Amino acid sequence: MRVALFDPCYLGVLRPSDAGHARRVLEALGDEVALIDGRCCGQPAFNSGFRGEAKSAGLQLLRAARGFDAVVVASGSCTSMVTHYLPGLFDGSKAAGARHMAARFHEFASYVNAHPNAGALALKLNGVVAYHDSCHLRRELGATEAVTALLGRVQGLEVRRLANEAECCGFGGAFSVKLPEVSGGMLRAKLEDVSATGVRVLVSTDVSCLAQIEAGARGTGVMLETWSIAELLAKALP
Amino acid sequence: MSAYRERAATEIREEHPAATLTPIMRKLVDDSAAMLTRGPADARARATAARAYAIDHLEELQGQVRANFMRRGIGYHRAATDTEAVAIILRLLGDAKRVAKSKSMVGEEVGLTHALRAAGIDLLETDIGEYIVDIEGRGPSHITAPAIHLNRARIREMLARGGAELPDDDPVRLSRFVRDIVGTFFADCDAGITGANAVIASSGRLMVVENEGNVSLGVSHPKLHIAITGMEKVVADEAGALAILEVLAPSATAQPLTSFTHFLAEPDAGQERHVVFVDNGRSRILMEQRYRDILKCIRCGACMNGCPVYRAAGGLSYGSPYMGPIGAVLSPLLWPDGRYADLPGASSLCGRCTEVCPVGIPLHRMLLDLRADAAPKASIREKAAWKAWAATFGTARGARAASALGRIALRAAGSIPLRRGAESADPRLLPLVEPERDPAALTSAAAPRHPLAVVALEEISTEPDLETLFRQRAAALGVLVVAAAASRDGDRHLRATAGIASTGSLVLSGPAAARRPLLAARRVVVHLDPALIVRYPSDVGPYLGDGDTLILTGASRTADIEKIIVRGIHGSEELVVVVG
Repeated sequence: MRVALFDPCYLGVLRPSDAGHARRVLEALGDEVALIDGRCCGQPAFNSGFRGEAKSAGLQLLRAARGFDAVVVASGSCTSMVTHYLPGLFDGSKAAGARHMAARFHEFASYVNAHPNAGALALKLNGVVAYHDSCHLRRELGATEAVTALLGRVQGLEVRRLANEAECCGFGGAFSVKLPEVSGGMLRAKLEDVSATGVRVLVSTDVSCLAQIEAGARGTGVMLETWSIAELLAKALP
Repeated sequence: MSAYRERAATEIREEHPAATLTPIMRKLVDDSAAMLTRGPADARARATAARAYAIDHLEELQGQVRANFMRRGIGYHRAATDTEAVAIILRLLGDAKRVAKSKSMVGEEVGLTHALRAAGIDLLETDIGEYIVDIEGRGPSHITAPAIHLNRARIREMLARGGAELPDDDPVRLSRFVRDIVGTFFADCDAGITGANAVIASSGRLMVVENEGNVSLGVSHPKLHIAITGMEKVVADEAGALAILEVLAPSATAQPLTSFTHFLAEPDAGQERHVVFVDNGRSRILMEQRYRDILKCIRCGACMNGCPVYRAAGGLSYGSPYMGPIGAVLSPLLWPDGRYADLPGASSLCGRCTEVCPVGIPLHRMLLDLRADAAPKASIREKAAWKAWAATFGTARGARAASALGRIALRAAGSIPLRRGAESADPRLLPLVEPERDPAALTSAAAPRHPLAVVALEEISTEPDLETLFRQRAAALGVLVVAAAASRDGDRHLRATAGIASTGSLVLSGPAAARRPLLAARRVVVHLDPALIVRYPSDVGPYLGDGDTLILTGASRTADIEKIIVRGIHGSEELVVVVG
């Protein structure tokens, strides 16, 4: 299996060492990992309605993915963009080719959970975290159960579920910039549910949500660290 | 700043809509999901199929409706535009002066209330929620719960503005106060205007659902009944109408069915009935492959109940008769002049709307398509920004440089608020690059403030027989189920044509369905033969006959004030069923 790890554009900005965490986990599973960085799935432009621009960015990603059997993405949102929307931006035979390529993209946590060597990982980490379910992971990818099953494999870790888990944190990409008052209102509701769990570490598959929640936590004086699942698993490796 | 943002920011700052809406909507969404599980497993699929068939055969079904209306003596009217709809209704009203109107979203769409009043008509909004928002003067904030943005104290204020002297803000008192005004109006009124939830092509009957009994009054008391509805609201047959019923009230208000489900046939002797089908852009939407499915909508409001944007900023922020996700899609399609062009942006694309829609409308995908349609009209600045963005991410070198710049900028910015000003509703600081880790964070969790989700015990899975189920479900609605009931003064005794177990409903046909005596009775006693109980609403088709039929599901009620149920609005609080 030739596996590529795609380090999404915003992750390179906010959490430059996250790709390293993900790589260590994949290597622990026995995968040989190449890195794809400096690419974007096109979602920022796509969600704003600029499809030509989204397509040209997404095309670079699909090209970089050539020759790999699987492309692992440390973001549920980017994964859903590639698998659900990107192929639709191409016409005719190119669409078929894009669909073929897109089918090789997998969200990191679900990929790890389904990996044949997942059972041999010997994950162990003492502590308590809460889990934030990203909307795109939950509703576009339907991967909530896979992710929580993976968290359940970590010995010594208590994972608390949020009340109102299905509710959006208010990020939504450009939405959070264009409608800050509304986004902030949604975030406040999410922060209440996070605070109520009593944890100081919140984990999720999507650092985009986590950055939003963390920005709100700091702004309102809530003590909270936000970790990607990759960071958590890397810490839980032997 | 977009018009939506301006309105939303003002609402959030001045009205705090989330404080009222969030707890109510959270409970409603959970209860709706639970209520849907009481129906047949394929209810949503069948409702979706019924609506899909309707929009695929729209003109054919309209032709059948027209022919059946002719047979029944119901007036058939088509309005191409909003102004035409108003003109037709004004002509039908003739010299009618006092008009009782019940809830109609199409009525809001064409500006009916305002237009009729401007023409000198004394119009009363008879739905309790609509009556309240009519005083407030800002329009409904939700398609099934118009006054949901107002708490009881504000509603008392509104009623006081209308001249009411109320000692407190008890929802029962407030609801009954409006009920009495409406009841008095009906004693002397010339025409009733209602909406219609579906018009059945194969039989030419109108299906109208309501809780309070104001529609019951509107279709029975005045000499003239006019229904206004969208031209897409046709459905092939009774089976299709019942399929819609099975998801409509559960999705809208977490009820099994509304108190009253009317299947209206020919008008009574001396009465006139007309239906006005409004196009107002629907034919155009029907031609649009990407958007035509929006015409499947049954106006339940589940999408706004589930929408976090709606909860945060409220329904009035949309500035349109249609709010929430359905409003963000439908408004720019119905009014393509650009006035609602920014509404598709009022979504984080979380997909909850699509998930809860009972007729399978891919709402969040339509929002994406509408944003793409609007992109050519974006500002030069925004267009240039996306061009530059695409150029940057066109090469790996450019993208890496952008990431590096982003990191440098964020690190330099440090901990500053994303937006300044004490009034800012936005609590965020700029995000940190690679925030520091506290080794103790993982092991210093406090006890959870609320008990964590507990896996509920499985409901007892033995399926009760139909009669037992009927008794349970009817009792849950406050209906008294007995073996015998001695006659009392003011009783109305009726025999049901059928009963529906899963919803605790009673089917009344022909003379038994007469609304006037039903609503006037002090107590309604319905006799039901247990052999006539079916399981689901969709099984009741053979008992619906071809004439006037009424399905009663509990006593008349309202939940227009803070979703608190008040029983006994128009019509008796006391509903007794004698099974045997």
